[in-house]
Amino acid sequence: MSTPVFSVEGLWKVFGPKAERVPGDPELTALEPAELRSRTGCTAAVHDVSFDVHKGEVFVVMGLSGSGKSTLVRCLTRLIEPTAGSIVIDGEDVRAMDKARLRELRRHRAAMVFQHFGLLPHRTVIDNVAYGLEIQGVGKSERRARAQEFVAKVGLDGMEQRRPAQLSGGQRQRVGLARALAVDPEVLLFDEPFSALDPLIRRDMQEEVVRLHREEGRTMVFITHDLSEALKLGDRIALMRDGRVVQLGTPEEIVAHPADDYVREFVRDVAREQVMTVRTAMRPGGCDGTEHPGALDPGEVVADAIKVVARSGKPACVVEDGRCLGVVDHERLLGVVAGTEPQKEAV
Amino acid sequence: MTCDIALSRRTVLAVTTAAALTLLTGCGAADMTKQSSPFANAQGAKTVTLSVQSWVGAQSNVAVAQYLLEHKLGYRVDTVQVDEVPAWDALSQGRVDAILEDWGHPEQEQRYVTDKKTITRGGGLGVTGHIGWFVPTYLVKQHPDITNWKNLNKYSSLFRTPESGGKGQLMDGSPSYVTNDKALVKNLKLDYQVVFAGSEAAQITQMKQFAKEKKPFLTYWYAPQWLFKKVPMTEVKLPAYKEGCDADPAKVACAYPHTPLQKYLNSGFAKNGGKAAAFLKKFKWTTEDQNEVSLMIADQKMTPEDAAKKWVDSHPSTWKAWLS
Amino acid sequence: MATVTASAPRAGLPGVLKHRAAQKLLLLALLAAVLVPLADARWASGSWPHALTVDVSQPLADASDWIIDNRDSHPLFLYFFGYISNAVVLCVRAVYLLLLAVGWAGVTAIGALVAWRVAGVRLAAGTAVAFLACGLLGMWVPTMQTLALMVVAVLVSVLVGLVLGLAAGLSDRFHRALRPVLDTMQVLPAFAYLLPVVLIFGIGVPAAVLATVVYAAPPMARLTALGLRGADKEVLEAVESLGATAPQRLLTARIPLARKELLLGLNQTIMMALSMAVIASVIGAGGLGDRVYQALASVDVGAALEAGIPIVLLAVVLDRITAAAGEHAGEEPQSRLVWLYAAVAAVAVALAGRLAGRLDWPDSWTVNLADPVNRAVDWMTAHLYSGVPVVGGTADWAGRFTTWVLDPVRSGLQWLPWWAVLLLVAALAWLIGTWRTALTAVLAMAAIGVLGVWKPSLDTLSQVLAAVAVTLVLGFAIGIAAARSDRFERLLRPVLDVFQTMPQFVYLIPVVALFEVGRAPAVAAAVVYALPAVVRITTQGLRQVDPAALESARSLGASSTQQLRQVQLPLARPALLLAVNQGVVLVLAVVIIGGLVGGGALGYDVVFGLAQGDLATGLVAGAAIVCLGLMLDRVTQPTERRTKGGV
Repeated sequence: MSTPVFSVEGLWKVFGPKAERVPGDPELTALEPAELRSRTGCTAAVHDVSFDVHKGEVFVVMGLSGSGKSTLVRCLTRLIEPTAGSIVIDGEDVRAMDKARLRELRRHRAAMVFQHFGLLPHRTVIDNVAYGLEIQGVGKSERRARAQEFVAKVGLDGMEQRRPAQLSGGQRQRVGLARALAVDPEVLLFDEPFSALDPLIRRDMQEEVVRLHREEGRTMVFITHDLSEALKLGDRIALMRDGRVVQLGTPEEIVAHPADDYVREFVRDVAREQVMTVRTAMRPGGCDGTEHPGALDPGEVVADAIKVVARSGKPACVVEDGRCLGVVDHERLLGVVAGTEPQKEAV
Repeated sequence: MTCDIALSRRTVLAVTTAAALTLLTGCGAADMTKQSSPFANAQGAKTVTLSVQSWVGAQSNVAVAQYLLEHKLGYRVDTVQVDEVPAWDALSQGRVDAILEDWGHPEQEQRYVTDKKTITRGGGLGVTGHIGWFVPTYLVKQHPDITNWKNLNKYSSLFRTPESGGKGQLMDGSPSYVTNDKALVKNLKLDYQVVFAGSEAAQITQMKQFAKEKKPFLTYWYAPQWLFKKVPMTEVKLPAYKEGCDADPAKVACAYPHTPLQKYLNSGFAKNGGKAAAFLKKFKWTTEDQNEVSLMIADQKMTPEDAAKKWVDSHPSTWKAWLS
Repeated sequence: MATVTASAPRAGLPGVLKHRAAQKLLLLALLAAVLVPLADARWASGSWPHALTVDVSQPLADASDWIIDNRDSHPLFLYFFGYISNAVVLCVRAVYLLLLAVGWAGVTAIGALVAWRVAGVRLAAGTAVAFLACGLLGMWVPTMQTLALMVVAVLVSVLVGLVLGLAAGLSDRFHRALRPVLDTMQVLPAFAYLLPVVLIFGIGVPAAVLATVVYAAPPMARLTALGLRGADKEVLEAVESLGATAPQRLLTARIPLARKELLLGLNQTIMMALSMAVIASVIGAGGLGDRVYQALASVDVGAALEAGIPIVLLAVVLDRITAAAGEHAGEEPQSRLVWLYAAVAAVAVALAGRLAGRLDWPDSWTVNLADPVNRAVDWMTAHLYSGVPVVGGTADWAGRFTTWVLDPVRSGLQWLPWWAVLLLVAALAWLIGTWRTALTAVLAMAAIGVLGVWKPSLDTLSQVLAAVAVTLVLGFAIGIAAARSDRFERLLRPVLDVFQTMPQFVYLIPVVALFEVGRAPAVAAAVVYALPAVVRITTQGLRQVDPAALESARSLGASSTQQLRQVQLPLARPALLLAVNQGVVLVLAVVIIGGLVGGGALGYDVVFGLAQGDLATGLVAGAAIVCLGLMLDRVTQPTERRTKGGV
């Protein structure tokens, strides 16, 4: 496993009077949010959160509104000053940075895409995209040229001279995306970037992100309240509730093994066959014989496996690197769809 | 004084306005009193600034003086309309070069003419001013004894208006005018209420309106005044004026004096004003002359300039003496 | 008085608030029960007790004497005020000479050009027509004088306003400190500024410019702060997330984002400066205002109108241009080339005018408007004054209004014991606002008593209340009519423009001719002045009612009166309350003007102070008007507006 890009350890953000006393006081940290508020007048938006973000992965933080996820992502570049804990980027302590160093971080290493786009209404598309470069002091012709490249990359060719007000929501977010990409950051931070968009456009944009990630392999931290978006984009998901991370894992882990009733309730309506892989569904053990017609990759989702099994009418082998890992039959697959299989194993 | 002080002042100024422009004013003291109107002298001619008071008689003086200065002496004339006391102030500061008609401001005269010597007497205007209480002549025809103050209480119900409540109304005018009327009403035990019209314009409008309807009214008024030609009025006799009877404003119980109206010049202008100053010192005409011009302005609605031209054209002997 | 100010907001309050209102009243009653007997025993009831007044006339007279004696010798004047004064004169003169040098053709062409680029062809034509009209009326030179003064005053106001607004927009502490100052200045009548300024600078242009700046800078400061504070938080966050430094953030984001507010601030500053330009004629500002003022002296409405029309035209044109600039903020930038061509054209026109030797407006090209106007006014007053069948003449109305409305209200107010007036003020202010607004209102009212002008202030107050009542009745009626008929609104708009911008001096004479000298014409003048704003706010409020709510009412079969009563009026309540507040503030602003037509009381005292150079009378009366304004503003200012920090 590669070294983490971001490493967050025991992070706190408490709003309210004398907030700094809360994280250190075991009596206070044990309190429920409502109690904490009535006792101290404080709210812990981020409650002792720890995680690592690895290079090249899409790390999704998901939770309902008020769960602290937006505060969390702002703490990463200290747009909101954390109350306690440590944030390390590439081995450098973010909380210890002085103003200039912090600006450096924001200019070159982490760029953010916002829910309501955060575009400058008085600037054209191209000048909005070039804005980050302008702030860095890049000369006009150079930043225009670079901005042009990213305008093209997000599919806004020909709209360079328009103003944000003349664009649709989806187009505006493409501008926001291009602006973040234009500064060539190590990490892209997304704060619920698509939740203000129509469902169809949202799907387009999600695919755009998937494409970008595939092409460039950039590290991304993605905040969302939409579980299906989280499952679709995330390599790993941190599920937040009341400021705490209640579960952190791959989409499959979360769907298959919810950490508590809250998560279980959350993932109840997920189309499990779209998330669970054959690796989880298979019965471990050897296959009969060495020929594996219609063999499945263990990373494939159950929905695809069902197609194969249903077409052939017989169980299929699961093969990785030419080695047989196990077998799936329609019974196992149906168990996954019904949601009975994992529970049985968990008991 | 050195430039250092000026420089430090300039930093203060920079906050307020064009710092660069103060550079143009040079170092050292900036004396506001040496300043003229920014609109003055725009065509590069010699300029005289005259104060016009708000009443028409004063406008007539200025109109004729202005016409002669411009057309016979080649000056350019600016006029500034201000009230009397501020005009003294402006005259002292040199913002105004001359006041052509003053009704007597002993306090200001003491301060500026005697003490500070910033203002010089310019001689009499030739017009005698008088303040008094007046009733329209049509009313006198009906009630001949109304012209004596002792009978005013008998007629107070005639002068009742909504504004004066149960008493009779004595109408006063602009707040800039000298008036003892409140004390007079009190000390003469009159059943009257002083109502201030607040401006001469309002007072004249009201008087004309009353006259049109032939309504009775009692008003503070002054002569010379062009309105007498339009609305004939008769003075109500108050207890006779004696020297010093109006010394204590609270105890006044006598009529207003007859005042020979005076001209005043800024001292600097009087000394260095050349032909213009000499002309203004000599400027002297009669009540009739003034009324003739006033009537043209106020009643025939001629512009002051046209009225002045008309008067000048028909009275060459009068004004030629001022220019010699 | 309660019918106007208090019952309207109370009527619509939900049950909970009603309960809270009752609590507030109860608390106040308790407080009163303790304090009133004490005060009564100590100082007796009736008018404001003499023991509680402070006589400031002597110190004020001393201060005034000191200033006059030291004005031409003290370093403070020589090295500080002197520079300011000289700088103002130089600036105004420079602008004036420039305008004269450009000539009438050039000024008209340049004005039209700017209007065209900023606001389109129609406004360009309007601008040109406006300038030409100024010339036609024979008012070219006075118009240029006023314009020169305005340019300097507006520039300085904008600069001062920007600096203050920037500071208040960026620093919370400064904002908290500045806010009450601006709030107070907003209710100050323009006349109140004149006296102190005249004392220091003497009469003339510098005093006029500075009084204008003090009067016109606050809206700029307020709107700049509002714009900076109201900027989209996420945009600012986005800018910060890209690593912008504080200056970069200010220059590339906060200021551009506040452009709309900045332009609105410019618009308001220009409007206020223009209205002040006329009032400042009393202290020797010259220009158009002086022409109006001089015409007033010879009771010449026509001549006053001839000078008043250019002011109205300037105001309307400048208002439309700056408003259009605000609306177009953030649209496509215009090509520089077009600007260049247009500029060349304007210069060509100016040069042509110069070469043709026609720098000054030709005397023969003027139109005499004064005579027909005077005839019309005479006819009107002759026919409306009295003896009109059935309805009676205007003089009869005025008499009845004075006897049946003004007198009872005045004697009622003056009959109330002083503590009862304070209690009433406290109750009204608290019901509508917070305990803080109540405290400010009570303190302001008490200050009036302390200054020793209790009786005249209550006299003024009675006039204000009567005028506000009339304004609101008329304003709401006209506003509702305009909201319901587009055609009526279109017809109304120019009328409102004219009345809002016409110098009040112009209509003093007709008002006196119609209503006789006294408090009635003062009230009439106030109503004429305040009505346009009330009508506008009412119409706007009614038109902005959520269309969905109206649609649902229509779908339930509500008649149009039902829609108005049950949907539009309740939903437009905030706007109507704002209209009340604006009405009060504007009416108070004309009280001093009312002093010029026989309104007496505080207005007369201020005019007297100015006319006689009597600082003590004038300043005390001015301060009392300010206190009345503060009190009335707080009593009519709903809490919502304060939190939103409305304009």
